[in-house]
Amino acid sequence: MSEYLFEMRHIVKRFDGVPALDGIDLKIKPGECIGLCGENGAGKSTLMKVLSAVYPHGTWDGEIVWEGQPLRAQSIRETEEAGIIIIHQELMLVPELSVAENIFLGNELRLPGGRMNYPAMNRRAEELLRELKLPDVNVVLPVKNYGGGHQQLIEIAKALNKQAKLLILDEPSASLTAAETDVLLEIVRGLKAKGVACVYISHKLEEVAAICDTVVVIRDGKHIATTPMQQMQVNTIIAQMVGREMSQMYPQLPHAIGEVVMEARAVTCYDVDQPARKRVDQVSFQLRRGEILGIAGLVGAGRTELVSALFGAYAGTSEGEVWLEGRRVDNGTPLRAIRNGFALVPEDRKQHGIVRDLSVGANITLSVLQRYTRMTRIDGGAEMAAIQEQIERLALKTASPGLPITALSGGNQQKAVLAKMLLTQPKVLILDEPTRGVDVGAKYEIYKLMLELAAQGVAILMVSSELPEVLGVSDRVLVMGEGRLRGDFVNEGLTQEKLLAAAIGQEQHGTR
Amino acid sequence: MNTNKFKQLFSQYKILALLVAIALIWAFFSWKTDGDFTTARNISNLMRQMSITGILACGMVFIIIAGEIDLSVGSLLGLLGGAAALLDVNQHASLAVTIGTVLAFGLAVGLFNGFLTAYAGIPSFIVGLGGMLAYRGVLLGATGGQTIAPVSDDLIVLGQGYLAPSFGTALGLVLFVLAGVLTWQQRRSLAQHQLPVRPLWFDGLRVLFLGAIVALFVHLFNSYEGIPYPVLLLLVLLGVFSYIATQTVFGRRIYAVGSNMEATRLSGVNVRAVKLWIFGLMGLMCALGGLINTARLAAGSPSAGTAGELDVIAACFIGGTSMRGGAGTVHGALIGALVMASLDNGMSMLDVDAYWQMIVKGLILTFAVWVDVATRTGRR
Repeated sequence: MSEYLFEMRHIVKRFDGVPALDGIDLKIKPGECIGLCGENGAGKSTLMKVLSAVYPHGTWDGEIVWEGQPLRAQSIRETEEAGIIIIHQELMLVPELSVAENIFLGNELRLPGGRMNYPAMNRRAEELLRELKLPDVNVVLPVKNYGGGHQQLIEIAKALNKQAKLLILDEPSASLTAAETDVLLEIVRGLKAKGVACVYISHKLEEVAAICDTVVVIRDGKHIATTPMQQMQVNTIIAQMVGREMSQMYPQLPHAIGEVVMEARAVTCYDVDQPARKRVDQVSFQLRRGEILGIAGLVGAGRTELVSALFGAYAGTSEGEVWLEGRRVDNGTPLRAIRNGFALVPEDRKQHGIVRDLSVGANITLSVLQRYTRMTRIDGGAEMAAIQEQIERLALKTASPGLPITALSGGNQQKAVLAKMLLTQPKVLILDEPTRGVDVGAKYEIYKLMLELAAQGVAILMVSSELPEVLGVSDRVLVMGEGRLRGDFVNEGLTQEKLLAAAIGQEQHGTR
Repeated sequence: MNTNKFKQLFSQYKILALLVAIALIWAFFSWKTDGDFTTARNISNLMRQMSITGILACGMVFIIIAGEIDLSVGSLLGLLGGAAALLDVNQHASLAVTIGTVLAFGLAVGLFNGFLTAYAGIPSFIVGLGGMLAYRGVLLGATGGQTIAPVSDDLIVLGQGYLAPSFGTALGLVLFVLAGVLTWQQRRSLAQHQLPVRPLWFDGLRVLFLGAIVALFVHLFNSYEGIPYPVLLLLVLLGVFSYIATQTVFGRRIYAVGSNMEATRLSGVNVRAVKLWIFGLMGLMCALGGLINTARLAAGSPSAGTAGELDVIAACFIGGTSMRGGAGTVHGALIGALVMASLDNGMSMLDVDAYWQMIVKGLILTFAVWVDVATRTGRR
């Protein structure tokens, strides 16, 4: 038997004749952790779908060898039985079922007569969650009671429960806080020690560097390099991914900061389901013209709720005042907020950003379509001109504005959502996790655009869970924790440690 | 790969497939009735029958695209038709007053339905179910369960009149020219924006094909009595609703709301208002349908439109409207209505038992949606 647990040989997968994967090789030894890196659209997810038989054997060319035997799986069920477990980027939990039920979904423990063996399942679920350092999760409560980060860890618990020999983690830390990510990395190290092989897919290259033994870079469906991690640095990975040297992750552009444009006074948001609970508690701050204000904090700190409330999009009840250019404004609904000069690029692109059945162009003009009408009729030429202008301005890569928006990669979808909001010509631009699930190249372009906008006098409010990003582009940083404002820092000599300490609440107030 | 290619082709030319299906249905009935089915008289009659389902389908297709449903349209059509008959027979109102009042009434009820759905937050399924019972109840109460007759001749013309053949020919010519101009405009705009343009012969053939169909129908209608007024109305509505769907801001927003309501709301669209007006339009269509129905039967019947909502919804789905909202076309829904009407008419001519008619229609609906689902490409 070969020393490899698993080999993929020269995998080619075509969609309508266009190769998405073009001769990829991948080998993994037991207990090895491979970092799979590549920009969005490079083919990482496609490769993992081939591996886990989401695309069954026969729909692609090449060969997969599993423990020395050819693997010709027709369904995920077969690969799972073999011991290949995949944790998908998108959460696959059933919100109404309990945590334990979710963990055992598909391989429930049974009592005679087909009844569910709840005591055993709950016990095992508790064990798993304790390993993941989540002892405060009650396994009999529905999953929907827990936030995104917790749900991600529950998803991981579900995978751990399946006795994996090869564990594939697709962007597992996208919605995790730094502390939760550390726990995750610790778990992966533990699994490696037990001989479980891992494929770790992440845009967060620091994590890849911290945990992986080998880095495989793919680009445009082609295998670029396989290198032991010791010989690699984050910079070299990026260079391989984008195919060019990226001198800086964060562009620089001087921009003047002017007078106060927007002011939030004592904004308070109440939980949708438990109206007594405050998600945001008396938050006040000022935002200046041409300023990029980052909002950092742990997941669940109330940042998304805060910016939703500013934009009139918060689902529950909220209080507080929003002032714009010295006048109090009423942002009761998104429509009114947009008319007042506010714009929001929401956190959840799929649910709140793109409109699936519309074309790229129609998505871009959705907010301002009435601008391009003559009488009642949409002036197709004027609309198309506006769309083209935005596509060029944001370097949005699409074969045609008439393509369905779902045909674009995550980064380009995000640019389309951004373009839609920029067409409203906002004075205050709110970005909620603007680079989540966006590849390195597109990230750089989004940062550059933010700086250009700031230089034109737009005030930008950016919520981000990636501290390097917050430090890289913000002029000033607010830190939130448990719904309260825990710090307000000018971004000079600021470190991740300082922000984190404030977020957890070790330092009550920052320097101004 | 090959099945995928086939699926793609199929979904691209779904409308063509539906037309072929209609041709097959007509050929079958024509064969079974020794050609009686395809006489000018029967086709004229068939199209007139279809027009009421078609008028409602114009409104319903927007509702379904927006991700809602309206089950009350059959009862509402009955109620509004009954109101027309009451005004005409008991109040001796003039035609203009009857039409005006019924349209206003229909719009009001539609907006009320829309208000309950969009602003009060009651699921449209429930609003429709409630309306289905309540509107029928109002109708029964108002008419005392009696048929209201005789309706004045002015009103009857709406349902039973014909456009003079010479006008019909002129209309056919106008439609043919319009198809040519629209195709040319579309080609020009595609070329202008560097989008792929279909080959000239293809578009040319398409226009000629459309022209041939128009000519055939005008000829058929003219060799009987002319184009029936209800069919004329349906043609106008087809134009108006297609225009709304493809050329206006409101139309674009209907699709956006149905595809992703939350994203549309966050884009600054008043999604509640969009829904409100879609239901308002539906109410207007019920009013038109009710007027035509009363005129066609020359009486207001307390059972008019019973189970009509099922035909209308089936027509939309057969015509390729997406069940989860966000996609669909007006002409598709009308072709769906033609399928349903052809089955009704043909089976009645063959003296098929009523229960068999129901079974066949049920099977056809299920089959059509199955074909639609099975040939859909690019699942998530």
